[in-house]
Amino acid sequence: MYEKNPLSPHLQIYRWHLSMILSITHRIIGVVNSLAMILICLWTISFLFGEENYEIIKILFQSFFGKLLIISLSWSFSFHMLSEIRHLIWDLGYGFDLKISKITGLITIIGSLALTILIYFLGKNII
Amino acid sequence: MHHSTKKWLAIKFSSIILIPLMFWFIVNLASIYDESYAEIVNFFSKTSSKALYSLFLIAAFSFFSLTISEVFEDYISNEKIKNVATKTLYVFAIVMPLITISSILSLN
Repeated sequence: MYEKNPLSPHLQIYRWHLSMILSITHRIIGVVNSLAMILICLWTISFLFGEENYEIIKILFQSFFGKLLIISLSWSFSFHMLSEIRHLIWDLGYGFDLKISKITGLITIIGSLALTILIYFLGKNII
Repeated sequence: MHHSTKKWLAIKFSSIILIPLMFWFIVNLASIYDESYAEIVNFFSKTSSKALYSLFLIAAFSFFSLTISEVFEDYISNEKIKNVATKTLYVFAIVMPLITISSILSLN
């Protein structure tokens, strides 16, 4: 009986709302960013194998897939940073009101998209 | 202080350090990712890049190992498997950044 009990969070029971979606997304993005960190480490270690061996990675990064990868990573990092700031504000005891919680949730979503554009433009010296 | 309180404080402390370093790294990654090998190595050879990147790796792996262990806590019901998974995660979170930082420090 105990084995069949659903594990937290009970996705199949509660009606979906913004805070719930953000909470789940925060957790999934956290796992995705952890895996991204491993790839970043492997990319860094690959420098030790010399310029000739780096050619394959360079071709990959200069392709459309490379650009998509960096933009996706910029968004996942942006989302995680803003969502983490939201959590830190909660930890200080602010923003628990339902209306404020919805507003900060929307700021996290829209802000992560805006921050992704800003990061890419800053990186490419466009602004 | 209770073990869980210490862990919670460690998560919060690492996240405060991680946020600005994450921003620094992703902006620089967007700047250099499609550059030549020489340009990328030149960036990572700078003392400031080595220091900030090393700090970023330590903060990121500390934060992610602590938070992923919370995911294990929530989703792995078998205590034995959970303990092995958590310990493996902690060892990996020490070894991986150590190897990466060593490789960065060896760049000239």
